Amino acid sequence: MAGPARYLDPAIVARLGTIDLKAKTIVEGFLTGLHRSPFKGFSVEFAEYRQYLPGDDLATLDWKIYARTDRHVVKKFEEETNLECHIMLDVSRSMGYGSHAVTKLEYASYLAGALAYLMNRQRDAVGLLTFDDHIRNLLPSSARPGHLKSVLLTLERLTLGTRTDIAKPLGDLVQAIRKRGLVVLISDLLDEPDRIIEGLKHFRYRGTDVVVFQVLDPDELSFPFERAARFRDLESDREVVAVPAAVRDAYKARLDAMVSNFRTVLGQNGIDYTLLDTSQPLELALLPYLQTRRRTL
Amino acid sequence: MGGLSFLSPLYLLGILAIAVPIALHLFRRRTDTVVEFPAVRLLTSTPVEHQRRRRLRELILLALRVTALVLLAGAFARPFLAGRIVAASTPVTVVAMDRSFSLSGPGVFERARLLAAEAAGEAPASHAVALVAFDEVAETIVGPTNDRGAVTAGIRAIGSGVSGTRYAAALARAAEVLGPRTGRVVVVTDLQQAGWQGPSRGGLPDDVEVSVKRVEASLQNLAVVAAERRGGRVEATVRNFGLEARTAQVTLSIEGKEAARATRSIPAQSAVPIVFDAEVPSRGSASVTVADEGGVPADDTRYLVLDPAAPTRILVLVADPSALGGGLYVERALGAADAGQGFEVTVLDGRSLTSWTPDQISREHALVLLGTRSLERRGRELVSGYLTRGGSALLALGPDIDPATLGELMPMPTAVAPQAQELGAGGATLVLADPRHPVFRPFVTPAAALGDVMFERFWPVGDEGRRVLARFSGGPAAFLEQPRPSGRLLIFASDLDNRWNRFPLSPAFVPFVVEAGRYLTEVRRQPQTWVLPTTPPGIEARPGVYVLPNAGGVPDRRVAVNVNMEESNPAPISQDEFLAAVPRVPRTTQPDEAAEARKAEDSQRLWQWGLIAMFLALAGEGLVGRRAT
Repeated sequence: MAGPARYLDPAIVARLGTIDLKAKTIVEGFLTGLHRSPFKGFSVEFAEYRQYLPGDDLATLDWKIYARTDRHVVKKFEEETNLECHIMLDVSRSMGYGSHAVTKLEYASYLAGALAYLMNRQRDAVGLLTFDDHIRNLLPSSARPGHLKSVLLTLERLTLGTRTDIAKPLGDLVQAIRKRGLVVLISDLLDEPDRIIEGLKHFRYRGTDVVVFQVLDPDELSFPFERAARFRDLESDREVVAVPAAVRDAYKARLDAMVSNFRTVLGQNGIDYTLLDTSQPLELALLPYLQTRRRTL
Repeated sequence: MGGLSFLSPLYLLGILAIAVPIALHLFRRRTDTVVEFPAVRLLTSTPVEHQRRRRLRELILLALRVTALVLLAGAFARPFLAGRIVAASTPVTVVAMDRSFSLSGPGVFERARLLAAEAAGEAPASHAVALVAFDEVAETIVGPTNDRGAVTAGIRAIGSGVSGTRYAAALARAAEVLGPRTGRVVVVTDLQQAGWQGPSRGGLPDDVEVSVKRVEASLQNLAVVAAERRGGRVEATVRNFGLEARTAQVTLSIEGKEAARATRSIPAQSAVPIVFDAEVPSRGSASVTVADEGGVPADDTRYLVLDPAAPTRILVLVADPSALGGGLYVERALGAADAGQGFEVTVLDGRSLTSWTPDQISREHALVLLGTRSLERRGRELVSGYLTRGGSALLALGPDIDPATLGELMPMPTAVAPQAQELGAGGATLVLADPRHPVFRPFVTPAAALGDVMFERFWPVGDEGRRVLARFSGGPAAFLEQPRPSGRLLIFASDLDNRWNRFPLSPAFVPFVVEAGRYLTEVRRQPQTWVLPTTPPGIEARPGVYVLPNAGGVPDRRVAVNVNMEESNPAPISQDEFLAAVPRVPRTTQPDEAAEARKAEDSQRLWQWGLIAMFLALAGEGLVGRRAT
């Protein structure tokens, strides 16, 4: 797998004009890298052929190639699906935090755009749902060529909401989904973990696969503050006076416990969980999605 | 007047600067650093600093900052404890307590303490009280104060000393303590007659009342007033200062062990010599002790050093030792001092001096320059170096002096004319210009002795910047002293070799030359016996034998320190005689409150403590502040 240095820095992506350009840049770059990687077999790139081997499904033989060249080759992954993908994007106020080039919301929107672009390219139906403590935007899933533009336009015009309440929109979406599909949740998950997990489990009960991306800022991961300060919560305005040197270890322990809890419990329920640092390249987030999609198919 | 006062109270306005940290404190509290943070929920159960503790820390910081500013302003305002000084207008009773060794008899000093306490207690309520202790020197034990307890404690702290009595010192110190104030001086003493000896040191203002509290002391006293080695024996003199004859046992101890004992009957007011029959070693120390029951113990023992005394060396430089004179008269005169033991004289011509080393010449206690014509460059450098390093010299301007080379010889200008002159047809005699000079000590009474000598020829010497001790009749300077930072230089403007005058043949010549020699060598001489309160540097003021450590190439040597025998005589004077002897001066100074305040502030120097406290407060602020961040 190519190292992170080969990927696009989120700060660079942020300077790339419209979100469809950003999404395209991320995905194309990702796919280019994937061709050279040992994960090639997971790709959905349809221009992939290999020599027919005994035991291969005859349905995968490319008869056109055989007609032209008299060679037996199989066409891998080129197929049209009717997978319904729903991207749930958290736009609560806490997502507006950013200690460097991009905020969590910007990072999450680029990721959502890239995923939508990738899904559309795979001819999956893609829908977008933004929420804070309730659903703020809902674009039903569709595989129509023009639909991607609507998704990207919605991502382009995102505004910050208020408090986070993930469980409620999750419940609403569970009720709305009628077909087996894939739900991608992009959020900082700074809410009640038990309620989040409970909400996600409902998707699994209905046979829907779930991918969770927890997006956190480097400041949230390392708590690098030096001077004593009054820390005010972005959503609740609750304040805590703290001396960072004194509370840093305890904070990180609690954060690690929270992440570990998500990873363990969600994993036990067949939900893919990925922690994303907004200073890391966006392409790294696409791989977990593809793994899940492959399993879904 | 009491409590804390300030010399420059306007600086206290600087305290207003405390508004700055207070304002900053309040301002900072309102604009405390706020960090908007999404994951505050993870901080809730972490050990955050308790608000109350933080507030307390901030208050401590504020208090330290304010304290530092107050201390700084206070230090600039130059504080002093007014309660510890007395206003210039307050009258003072000075209790001057005698602590000389004449009060060291059994129970005598306790009586002195009681009388001193009584004198302090009798001071009028409106008076402040001061305490002075005196013997040969006077010391202020407690300055003017309203705290009678401090005076009582001061009296308890005084002990009898080993020095004599000097009332002049006590009264001078009392006058200093009184300053511009009025008041009274109460002298607590045994009224020893000998206490009025010594120079006067000014007087008390005429409006200061003086009274005496007499300490009854024994009038019987035996003392060893002299002890010296003569040949292989020790000879001592024991004096009975009492009014009755006494029989006393006198003991000689060598190196602390009894070597001989003698019993003598000593008539009243008389002294008896005692020669001990014990052979004494050539080196070491000894003491002679008389058993004196009821008398003053401090003078019962006299210490002496048995080591041969270090000779006082004088180098006489002549132009030609074989020529007429040739330094013979000066050599013989110096050799006669102290029965031939006073000086070790070396006569040398200029050429012979060339072979000397600077170390060699530095061992001479003084030089007498009679002739310089034969001095070569090396010799001139040696003499010049000797004088530059603080050596003393007598320059006798006779015919063998070459004035052209004097500038090279002397590190200082001597202002000697290039040509010698005649002193008129009949010559001239010497007239003392400063008869108090030590050289003229033998001539104070028979002052005419020097006036009998006729001088015919002399070298004119400028007297500007020099102390003229004697002049030739007619006016020219005859004998001068050149002031120098160290060492002494005497200039005699004529010959001392019996060529231009007959002075060497005069009876005044020997005492003149001997006294000049003593005066010149006084600076470098190292006496074997010291009389209190004078002691060699580094030696405590107690009778005994001490070893002076090796210093500057001089080997270790023993010295004996003894009490002043003047104090042994208990003969008193009456109170009336005492009061009549108190010198008086008209009052010229008036009370000056500001000067008193300055003096008090200067003595207390509280501002230094204020600054130290300020730095401590700032250090504390730094520590607390660092923990807070």
